[in-house]
Amino acid sequence: MKNLCCALFFLIFTSYSFAQKNDYSILKISDSLKDNANAVVRFDLTDISILSQRNMVIKTDRAVTVLNEKGARAVNAVESYNKRTSVKNIEAIIYDAFGNEIKKIKKKDFKDVSAADGATLASDGRYIYLEYTPISYPYTIVYSSEIETSNTAFIPRWLPLDNYFVSVEKSIINVKYPNTLGFRKKESQFSVFDIKKTDETDTKLSYSAKNILAHKPEDYSPAFSELYPKLTMSLEYFNLEGIDGNAKNWKEYGKWFSEKILTETIVLPEETKSKIKALVGNESDPLKKAKIIYHYVQEKSRYVSIQLGIGGFKPMLAADVDRLGYGDCKALSNYTRALLDVVGVPSYYTELYGDSDLRDIDEDFFTIEGNHVVLCIPDKENYVFLECTSQNDPFGYQANFTDNRKVIVIKPEGGEIIRTKIYEPKSNAQISKGNYSLDENGVFSGVINITSEGSQYGRKGQIERFQPHEKEKHYKDYWSNINNLKLGRIAFTNDKENIRFTEDVQLTASNYGVISGNKMIFTVDAFNQNSENVKRIRNRKNPFQIQRGYLDTDEIEINLPAGFSIEFLPQNYELKGKFGEYKTEIIKNDSNKLTYKRSMFLNKGKYSNKEYDEYRLFMEQVSRNDNAKIILTKN
Amino acid sequence: MKLPKLINAIFLLFVVSTVTAQEFKLGKVSVAELQQKVHPKDSAAVAAILYKKGTSRFIYDKDQGFVIVTDVENRIKIYKKEGYDWANQDVFYYISGGVEESVVFSDAVTYNLVDGKIEKTKLKTEGTFKENRSKYSGHKKITLPNVKEGSVIEYRYTIKSRHLSFMRDWDFQEEIPVNYSEYVTYIPEYFVYNVRQKGYILPKVKSEFIQGSFTVYEKERDLVSGKPSYSTFKKEYQEAKTTYVAENFPAMKDEVFVNNVNNYMSSLQFELAMTKFPNESIKPYSTDWNSVVKTIYEYDDFGPELNKTGYFEEDLKSLLATAKSNEERILLILNFVKSNVGWNGINGYSCDNGVRKAYKEKTGNIADINLMLTAMLRHAGLKANPVLVSTRSNGIAFFANRTAFNYVIAAVETDQGNILLDASSKYSSPNILPLRALNWQGRLIRKDGTSEAVDLMPNTISNDNVFVNYTIDPTGKIDGKVRRQCTEYNAMVFRNNFESVKQDAYLEKLENESGKIEISDYSRTNEKELLLPTIESFSFTGSNLCDLIGDKIYINPMLFFAKTSNPFKQEVREYPVDFGYPFMDKFNITIKIPDGFTVESLPQSGALTMEDNLGAFKYHIVQNESVLQLSISHQINEAIVSNEQYDMLKEYYKGMVAKETEKIVLKRI
Repeated sequence: MKNLCCALFFLIFTSYSFAQKNDYSILKISDSLKDNANAVVRFDLTDISILSQRNMVIKTDRAVTVLNEKGARAVNAVESYNKRTSVKNIEAIIYDAFGNEIKKIKKKDFKDVSAADGATLASDGRYIYLEYTPISYPYTIVYSSEIETSNTAFIPRWLPLDNYFVSVEKSIINVKYPNTLGFRKKESQFSVFDIKKTDETDTKLSYSAKNILAHKPEDYSPAFSELYPKLTMSLEYFNLEGIDGNAKNWKEYGKWFSEKILTETIVLPEETKSKIKALVGNESDPLKKAKIIYHYVQEKSRYVSIQLGIGGFKPMLAADVDRLGYGDCKALSNYTRALLDVVGVPSYYTELYGDSDLRDIDEDFFTIEGNHVVLCIPDKENYVFLECTSQNDPFGYQANFTDNRKVIVIKPEGGEIIRTKIYEPKSNAQISKGNYSLDENGVFSGVINITSEGSQYGRKGQIERFQPHEKEKHYKDYWSNINNLKLGRIAFTNDKENIRFTEDVQLTASNYGVISGNKMIFTVDAFNQNSENVKRIRNRKNPFQIQRGYLDTDEIEINLPAGFSIEFLPQNYELKGKFGEYKTEIIKNDSNKLTYKRSMFLNKGKYSNKEYDEYRLFMEQVSRNDNAKIILTKN
Repeated sequence: MKLPKLINAIFLLFVVSTVTAQEFKLGKVSVAELQQKVHPKDSAAVAAILYKKGTSRFIYDKDQGFVIVTDVENRIKIYKKEGYDWANQDVFYYISGGVEESVVFSDAVTYNLVDGKIEKTKLKTEGTFKENRSKYSGHKKITLPNVKEGSVIEYRYTIKSRHLSFMRDWDFQEEIPVNYSEYVTYIPEYFVYNVRQKGYILPKVKSEFIQGSFTVYEKERDLVSGKPSYSTFKKEYQEAKTTYVAENFPAMKDEVFVNNVNNYMSSLQFELAMTKFPNESIKPYSTDWNSVVKTIYEYDDFGPELNKTGYFEEDLKSLLATAKSNEERILLILNFVKSNVGWNGINGYSCDNGVRKAYKEKTGNIADINLMLTAMLRHAGLKANPVLVSTRSNGIAFFANRTAFNYVIAAVETDQGNILLDASSKYSSPNILPLRALNWQGRLIRKDGTSEAVDLMPNTISNDNVFVNYTIDPTGKIDGKVRRQCTEYNAMVFRNNFESVKQDAYLEKLENESGKIEISDYSRTNEKELLLPTIESFSFTGSNLCDLIGDKIYINPMLFFAKTSNPFKQEVREYPVDFGYPFMDKFNITIKIPDGFTVESLPQSGALTMEDNLGAFKYHIVQNESVLQLSISHQINEAIVSNEQYDMLKEYYKGMVAKETEKIVLKRI
């Protein structure tokens, strides 16, 4: 009977595709869809049939006209599979610009490769994808696939527009589901385009979108998924890599994950337990205990990416991490949790997006998401989060990867969405103190002490671990404004307790003072030129965001060469506005000694598209003033 | 072309000296090795190869014949956390006809010092992984347990391979220091391999002959009874034992303007030259260039592909119907192949699909495309031949070796010399090859089996001529026009730069990179006329291009065209600098200064030249009342500059940057 069903289904399906038989000539594409587009999606039909808690079939029928080389990825003729997901059917037909068929590509002619890339040691995931070499543009690929999976925990999201530089003629999604599985959905940003809900009952749902123009990316924009329409779907009764689950919100998910996935993963051998207890000794403060243990894990373990089966979701057993000394983010976080448990410090497994961009877990809608795991330790009213994959981060350090975002903290009584630590602009400080001298030939020699804190600590801390040639490169890039730079002694102090990184650098450079006739010209601000190049964007559309902000303060003593007098000194300068504050000051100490003071404060914030040019001009003023020059005349 | 010193070093093959192999054994890790905090010769090293020992033997198997068994032992010290990746190891294997080469890891152990005692943690099966990456190859991987700063790890792997035609390379250098690396090959007299050493530093070599033997089983059937009887006999043979030893080799470092750092890494390559089995005639594979190319020519997917013509004859006939000259024929055929067969991104000098199929399906690899091109040129009566090439990413083809090449182009021999052609790139034209193919020398093969080296590096100068005409107003605002003309390789690079970039996006980038000017009246000429120089012209205004200091205007006369920083920042250069092709950048600039201003100071005219005619910089400026005229040129005459000339090159760039950053000072009258 089941077979018959399939056959019937197939028949209906094929007749549907015949009905779709289109004219793929590019002449049929309206000009507005070609503007800014590298590819035009002629139609994109996704049919999702959830047959049971453990069975979902996803069919895709898509026609994409590729206008140029950069449009090829819009075809997206790729499916991933593994033990629980199989590719039932995959094929493609290629048409030339006039809609004449050039080539048919069958499943066996698709490439089949392992999903383990250089960064992943092992994975049982594989990809099957189409590789096609076009002879000319444009061309059209009509792609169809059918995959079947038991992983109903992951219903694909529907993004009628899924990338920049692509336009869409028509995109349709049909979803069918039994009314017993607790199907839920969330529409976001639907008002941006013309999207119609064409059907909704307790067992099915359909949308269609038409004529979506291509969009261009713009610097400082929010993430694509925040800007454009997205349909997210989820089941209350789902299956995750062979394990049945049920949850309709984050609280229930947390409870289920604790009970079904995390349970019994933190058992440790007695020997380790007594070792850890001895290590912690009489320490009674929970955070201090946690610090000792975090340090222990950093010294003992290393990060290795292994994605096998349920291992893609379930952490390796703590006892195995203890024995082997390696694991991925899940394994290392859970291992740390196990060790903390031994000394009576509660901690929680936490799922989130690890990314330099701030990216939230959706608080209002539960569906399994995220790409990273950290560990959360309650600290009175607050929480401390530990990045357990790093062998170098200070305790509780989160800037630039897991800071200021909503995460799902998995507590045994239920999951809870919590925002992680916010690095306030003023705490992201860089303090530079130093001096430089110029001789009568314009040769520069200087000493500088730079202290970095907050989010700036994270960017600087890594220099310490660079190879000598990488260090040289770093400083020659950092001071790219100083030509012919030669580095002298370089020393670092990494104060992990107070999260403060200090660099002491000696440097020299010939021709810093440019001599023209009897004059010498040089830029006052040698050590800290604003490096942020804010592009001019014609007709910006998106709002923009400054995610972290910072505060730089510099105090530099300048020794002028003997035998010269000052012809011109730049004026003190101050710029204040919603984006921040910038101030420079030159103090004349005596005839050949100056003190240069500079402070630059950049606020974090969200702004409208209209304010972008204002921001660009603000930064341009800063850059221009950072370039202010002193002119000396030979006596 | 001048070959840098590198080549000399490489031809010093087989420096025979007495080699005494050091005693290293798996399992014998010392406390001293575990205690060591930093590498004694390279304090920045994140890890080091303490020793690496390999042997390759030919074992006779009664079912398979000779099999190469390579056994490698490795001991690695981890100094820093950044060196943890060395505790993950992988070895690839080939899959042919569904049969995998055997790769087996064993004896993998991590050693740590715990309270002064050596603690051993063995690798179990949970830390070993196997991954079939595609139909043709896979990887065996291990990740060692319990690795910390200071750990020493050890492992062994054994590869059994039937691919006798090429033994695997042996690398003496890595990204980390190598304290001791030893490789011993035992090669029976039936096989002759060409062994190539490359790199800046070479291992010591010792050769000797020893006796080897294998046992042959034979089954005979008694003619009367039909009963089988078995006999065995032992076959003795001579075996060449060669020991290579490298001690204290430094870590490899990458640098800017290096075409491929692996060219300079110390390693061995093996290639089967011939087999001479008893009672069989000698079968040559490759010993010199002539036999290499002969072997290649005889491959089914090479020579015979050149002889197929039926598939294109009709089309070619109509294509060439009105062609008058050979030049015209060459161009027509090149463009015909370019527009009819797309490159699938795969290199190779042997055909993938075969020319006929590639022609029909309109896609193929490099050989499909360029052998088809060669065949068509021949069919049109031209003296065309294939030229074997090693791409930049593949490294330089130092030795006569059929595996050294991975690419093929076409050459037409004319009285004026060879015309090199490659139909796999949209913007290539006669003697303008895609940059990937510009790698020292290629090997031209003629039908009669003779061959010769062909210089691939361009000799003609590629020009970038910029004409700028602008006026300065009293507020420092600048209005002007630019006309930029690129020839040869510069034109190709220019065409690549705007390929499939929308004009809007291109202009936005150009504006942002040119001091945030605003561009109007933009136009491009000869975008598709590949034989002509590209011309780009536009008008611009810029309000950020001058400094107003006091009542003076400071301006860099070259505006955003000035080179403001020296690309050569390193103090010491290890490898040659590779510019790709010789070039000349030339600027003709006319400046109108604002009314009410006069020139206070001008940069002086001057020139810089490098020895050996390597290059020259000229800066010439004249004033004619309120108009300034500048003529500036920067010329590099060699595609490749040896590292011995690095200091000179760096000084040259320093002088040029200093000159190009000088300013004109205008003052109010």
